[in-house]
Formats: sequence, structure tokens, C-alpha cells
Amino acid sequence: MKPSAEIVKIADKPDLKYVGKNVTRIDAKEKVTAAIKYLDDFEMKGMLHVKLLLSPHANAIVKSIDSKETEAVPGVIKVYTWCNTPEIKYNSAVFYPGQNDLEDEKLFTDHPKYVGDRIAAVVADSEEAAEEGLNRLKVLYEELIPVIDPSEAVKKECETPSGKPLEIHLSCGQFEEIECGTDGLIIVEDEVSTQKIHHAALEPHSCVAYVEPGEIVTILSPCQLIFGVRYIVSKVLNHPLSKVRIIKAPMGGTFGGKQEVILEPICAFIAKDLGRPVKLVLNRKETIISTRTRAATKGKVRTIATGDGRFVGREVDVLTDAGAYMTGSHRVTTAMGKKLFRLYRIPSQTFHGTTVRTNTTPSGACRGYGSPQIHTITEINVDHLAKRLKMDPVELRLKNLVAPFDDDPTGGPSLGNARIIECVNRGAEAFNWKERFSFTPKKGRYKRGVGMACSTHSNGYAGSIYPDFTAMYMRIAEDGSVLVNAGLHELGTGTLTVIAQIVAEVLDVDINKVLVSEGDTLYTPYDVGCVASRVTYVCGSCAKELAEAVLDKFKRLSSIVLEIPYDDLQLANGIVASVSNPAIKLSYGTLIARIGTILQEEVGGYLSYRSVTNPGSYAAHFVEVEVDTLTGLTAITDYLAVHDVGRAINPRMVEGQIYGGVQMGIGMALFEELAYDSRGIPQNASLSRYHVVNAPEMPQVKVMLIEEDEPTGPFGAKSVGEIAAVPVTPAIVNAVNWAIGVSINVLPLTPSRIISALGAL
Amino acid sequence: MVNIEIKINGKIKCIDVNPRMRLIDLLRNLGLTSVKEGCSEGECGTCTVLLDGKAVTSCTVLAFQADGHEVTTVEGLQTNGELDVIQQAFIENDAVQCGFCTPGMIMAVKSLLNENPHPTREDIIVAIEGNLCRCTGYLPIVKAVEQITKESVDLQ
Repeated sequence: MKPSAEIVKIADKPDLKYVGKNVTRIDAKEKVTAAIKYLDDFEMKGMLHVKLLLSPHANAIVKSIDSKETEAVPGVIKVYTWCNTPEIKYNSAVFYPGQNDLEDEKLFTDHPKYVGDRIAAVVADSEEAAEEGLNRLKVLYEELIPVIDPSEAVKKECETPSGKPLEIHLSCGQFEEIECGTDGLIIVEDEVSTQKIHHAALEPHSCVAYVEPGEIVTILSPCQLIFGVRYIVSKVLNHPLSKVRIIKAPMGGTFGGKQEVILEPICAFIAKDLGRPVKLVLNRKETIISTRTRAATKGKVRTIATGDGRFVGREVDVLTDAGAYMTGSHRVTTAMGKKLFRLYRIPSQTFHGTTVRTNTTPSGACRGYGSPQIHTITEINVDHLAKRLKMDPVELRLKNLVAPFDDDPTGGPSLGNARIIECVNRGAEAFNWKERFSFTPKKGRYKRGVGMACSTHSNGYAGSIYPDFTAMYMRIAEDGSVLVNAGLHELGTGTLTVIAQIVAEVLDVDINKVLVSEGDTLYTPYDVGCVASRVTYVCGSCAKELAEAVLDKFKRLSSIVLEIPYDDLQLANGIVASVSNPAIKLSYGTLIARIGTILQEEVGGYLSYRSVTNPGSYAAHFVEVEVDTLTGLTAITDYLAVHDVGRAINPRMVEGQIYGGVQMGIGMALFEELAYDSRGIPQNASLSRYHVVNAPEMPQVKVMLIEEDEPTGPFGAKSVGEIAAVPVTPAIVNAVNWAIGVSINVLPLTPSRIISALGAL
Repeated sequence: MVNIEIKINGKIKCIDVNPRMRLIDLLRNLGLTSVKEGCSEGECGTCTVLLDGKAVTSCTVLAFQADGHEVTTVEGLQTNGELDVIQQAFIENDAVQCGFCTPGMIMAVKSLLNENPHPTREDIIVAIEGNLCRCTGYLPIVKAVEQITKESVDLQ
């Protein structure tokens, strides 16, 4: 490894002031001083506390609930069950009218379908009283047999028409015809299982709700789609959208776990019913068992290639475990299928996805939205093919990877300036891949090996059935400071800083004078939300285009007020100046005040921006592992992440996203799995039993950025937050398989799986 | 109720506490909300505070156990409005993303530097192994502490 490879800037533009620079994130100080108040730190006068009764059974009927003793507990205000709350069914992933995902969830249920399903809520004037009240609820259950294994669920659900699995087909070319004549072709098949994963955001799920004058039901939520939350709450409460106000609360991590609507409708209903502020904060166990998980999948891949390693056709079949409710799981399945057509040139390919419900914690969004699962399934298969062909896995990939501006063969948006080939070439060189890669395991107890994987991810929803628009207001104040009024969600990824960088760049003002808002459905314009790796690409484009329009307006009005031709004006460094007359120099603020006084007009604008295309982001990760063949323990001993990001708006924050993504991917590869026994009881619903990668397990990660500018992105930028977590797992699995000469395809690679694979040799 | 005398962020307080009350609850009830609850079993480290200068997870310490001792939280780190070097280094090295683990992480580092002003990279990693961070992959945090160590060596 070359030590200089930490960050390689391919397209360095010295004329940019803020874009491409390591601007300090704007909320860093309030976070290191703990001045930021997360919801659990937030108090209101007269606030009530809510505790949920969660089902201890994976499949049961509630025969009776006796709440007499609960109601007698001093401080307990009211008990809610399915009997005194709305029966309206909803799907927690739906965020806009017209989306017709299966609606199978209610606020509370008398037929719990997983351990953690919501039976009742106890509301009290203190947490202690709510807890005490909860302990005194007497519930009689009739237990039913749960279905835990998704394959079994497919068979069972087919027998009951109401619960049919959902299916999706995608294809290009003629896979069936190739199958008829495979003479001289190589066929490699794999079955890969990926596991259920807990997001493990350090902040457990929380929500606060209260009613403001005018019957405005107001919800504070650390969420990812304020307008989506508004839609579901409005529907469940049958309350007008305009009178449901969602305010984005500080977010202590989400990774998709707080994307779907979970606690908000309950808190909103109780606050409206009682006319008092309420707060609901889950503990870790409740967060693990009763919110959302990464969907477990079972994938079958069959790749057909020529003897010299060109992909001819591929068939992929994936079964997704939705958990107890459909949620966004079928969207995840669909998203998995779409990725298959955007990484390699495969003339004929067919995807069949099935989403089925089981009696386990519901699945949903999780960093990558299916990408980590599908790339794990297919990238393990690519290395299997390399093994069969006795061809270097890098060489095999290079023969098949997509090129810039390739079409999506299913008719989806162009791949844009797709630079995966550069990622692989430059990464392989920096990692010294050729010298380090070996087809055969080395001798000795500790075996080192290298592996790699490629991946792609989206930049928004364009090209899908989902809307992908955003709107913003932007105004310059009388002191020259800039207000960006937008429905954004800071998740900790640096969104507000990135938008401020873009606006400061265009308007050429001191970035400390730019204030970017988070979302509040009452006061900020519409935004789809912080999902689908869309924020920098879509919201960043909106901010850039709007700033350009505001700059133009500022220049036009300055021209009138100063009586200087438009073309003679220069707006730079917060100063309006005349090019021909150096004596004329006014600060932005002075001129804004003059425009206000003379023309009586605000210098600002509004833009509703629609994303029209959806290029791919790309990454190739290279890893070295050391497997202890005696204990089965695996350590990551070297790591290089190469990313085609178009352009890094903030390279240091891009690195931060990649470090965190690698950390999550290592967890998926080696440690993390939410396990259930045959009765559906979660086996590791605590952080002492669910292992999250900690500092000693984290390798030094070298990052290399390929910055070749995506023409449709703001300053050339593309997404990075989700894709950073995608190639990690298959790269590690491939490295382990090469290191010890096995073909493990069940995740995670626990010591016992490694030892038994070695034993089978 | 148990009456305890405890020095919190430099100020001595006499408080009656329920013997079952945890230190985290005492501190949060006093408005010290830098002390976060992430797991309730001493596994995640978001509730880390200093007890007589050493890091403890305040969800696994009972309030009365702090009787006669000194507790420091992030609220007690700033002097005359100036950030602590750790806070400054976290900002400079982008060691903060969502910020939820940050106060506990900073206190774990404070404890390390109290005992060992010149830790090796290995020492730093061991000192924060009980503090989980799901955003940063720990690398910028380790880098921040290395910067402090380097700067203090440079000063000598």
C-alpha cells in the first residue's frame, strides 16, 4: 500500500471556496458540548409518559386484558388498547397518497404477530408510574404456532389467500433461450443467506407529541421523512394534513431504523385524546424487538459465462423476510432487483423477488435498502465463477463492469458518469492486488487472504414509481446573511453543512452567514425526505439552482438601485462591486437594505425542484483478512475503500461516511445477527448479546475517492452514505473464502461457521 | 432515602436519593443531559462520566455509591467558556456525526488522558472499547486523541 493513497484528488478545482473543502460541520460544537437536546432530554410542563405493552408471544390471540390494577396505580392516567384507538390499517413505509403498499399494521392489536407487537399503552404522569402500571396489566393470551423461517412461510401463506407473498419480476434479454444451449459455457450457482440486523443507532427510538391552539397536532420526531410521518398520522387520526405538524427533532442515529413511521401515530393519538404533551422513549430491548430490522434474505444466483469470463446471462431469485408486517420490505425486494442491472453488462438477466411475512420483528429500511443483501449474494457468486475459471477476480470483473453513460437494460435511467472501472483499476494498483491475491490458501494456523467486491447504489427515486421532488425558500437578510428554509433532515451525516457549502459557493458569501433549516411541516416546503441516497444529489441540486436564481435576482435589483449595468456588476466575497468603477463597493447587507428601502422587495426565491435522472454511485472495496483456523476468529488486517462519488462536496465528511459504512459492513460480515428460536423469541435483544463492532475490531481504512464529476449532480456530486456500507460484506466473505479455501455462503461468518466449513474440507 | 454528599462538576451537593436510584438518573434529573442512556447495562458507554477522574458507566453505578466522591460530566469540561482540548480535537477531526455517543466518548478519553497523557494508539483504542459509535467507525475519534497527544508532546 502506498502511504499517499489516503485521499487522491483527481479533479481538484482551486477556484472553489467551499465545495470540495473540509468545512467543519456546523453542528459539531453543540454536539461536543451536549448543548443539543435529543428528545429524551426534552421536557414540557405537564408532560405525560407512555410505556408500551409488547407481546411476549410471536403469534397469539389476546383473550382478555384486565387493567383495573393498572388504573389504580397513583399517577396512571389512561390505558390504551385496540378497543379505544383507531382500527385504521396502514403501511409504515407509505409516504404519499396513491402508494398502495399492503396495509396490515394498526396502532394496537389483539392478534400479536411477533414478540414485540404492540398490545397496549399505559400513560402516566411519571415514567415510574407508567412502568408500574404496565407491570400490573393482566393479559390472557392464547398462543398460536409461529412461522419463523421465510421458506416455510411461503408454503404456509400460499394456503391462506389473505396472506399471499408479494412478487416482482424484472428482466432484460432472453435468459430462457440461453439456458437451452449452454454448450461451452460455464454455469456457476450459489445460494446465499443474509441475516436480520439491528440498526443499533445509539439513540433508542423516541417521540414527543402535543396539541397546539387551533387543534394542531404537533409531533417532534427524530425521523427521516417529516411529510411521510404527517401523511400516516393524518390518515390514522383522520385529522387534516394542515393540522398535523411534524418537526424534525435532533437525531441520534438512524441508518434507516427511524425511516418508517412507528411511534408517531400512537403519541399523536394519545396527545390529541388527552390534550396534554406526551413522551415515549423506548429502551434498547424495545428498540431491538419492536421497531424495524434489516430484512433477512435467501438468494439463489445462476451465472452463465463464456470460458474467457464474459457474462452471458444471470438468473437471480431472492426471498425477503418482511417480518410480521409488510412495511417497506417489498420495496426493499424491488430495490434489490434494480441494482442487478446497473453494475455489470449482462445481456440477458432475470430477477424474481418474493417478499413474505414471518412471525419476527418487522423489516424495513436499513442503510443501502437491499443493496448490501443483493451485492453480497451476487458478489460471492462472481468470486465463485472466478474460482471455476481460475481467473483473477479483479480481471473477471474488469471484463464485465459497466462503462460511463451505459444504459440501464431494463429501461431505467442512464448510469451517468459511472466510474466503477477506475475504482477497480486504481484500487487494485494501490492495494497491490496482483501480488497479494492467491487462489490457494497459505500454510499455517493463521491464514491471510485478500478479497474484493464491487457495488452500485442510487441517487434518489427518479425512474421509480416514487416522487422525487423538493422545494426550498432562500432569502438574503439585511445584514447579508442567508436563510435557507428547507424540509431537510440532519441525520448526523452532515446534510446541513453540505447544503450550506453549496449555497455559500454559489452566492459567494461567508459560510458562517448561511443558515440552513431542518424540516417543520408547518413552515418548510415539501421534501420527500432523507431516503434513497437522494439528499446531496437532489436537495443539493435544488439548493444550487435556487441560489443561482437568487444571485441573478440580487444582481438585477442591484443594477436598478445602483444604476449600473447588470454586466458591469460583480458579486463576490459578500461584496457587490462595479467592474468598471472600483470606487463602488457595497456589502451584500448594505445593498439588500437599499433594495428593501427603494424597491420594497425581498431578495429571495422559492424553487420546487424535480429530479429527472438517477445516475449510479459506485464503489470497490479491497480487504485483507487473517483467519485463525483453530478458533475460527477473523480479523481485518487491511482495508481500502475506493468510491466514485462524482465529486466530494466535503471530502472529510465523505471519509466519515465511508468509515461508518465499513464498520456496519464488518458487523454484517462477521458478528451481527438478530436470532430467534423456534417459538420466535429473540435470542439477543440487548447490546451485551448483540455485538456491535467496537474500536479494537475496526481496521485502519484507507479511502480513495474517484472524482470525475457527474454532469447532473450539484458541482458533480453523487451519493455516498448508503453505498459505503454495501461492498464491505461480500469483500470480507470473499477474502475469508479465498484465505481458507472454503465457500461459506451463510452470514455472518461466525467462528463456528468457519470451523465447520474447515472441517468439511 | 439516603442522604449523600457529592461533588458534581466542581460543586458540592447534598441530596436525598432513593437507594435504588442509578447515578445516570440522578445526573439527568439535575439537568445534566449530556449523560445519555443507550443500553441500560453498561455496554454502549453513552452514559460514561468520571467518578474521581475515572470513567464509569453511570447506568451501572447507584447514586449512593457516589457519596463522598467527585463526578464530572461534559457540562463540567468547559472552563470560562473555552472548550476542553478533547472537545476541540473532536471538532477539528470530524469525530462527531450524530453526536449521541459523543459526550460519553469524550469522558472516556478524558479518563484516559488523566491517567496517561501520552497514550499510544493501542492505549486509545483500549480506552474507548466500551464506548460504541455507529457512525464514525472510531477512526476520526482515535485520530483526534492522537492529535492531542502529539500536540502535548510538541509543547514539551
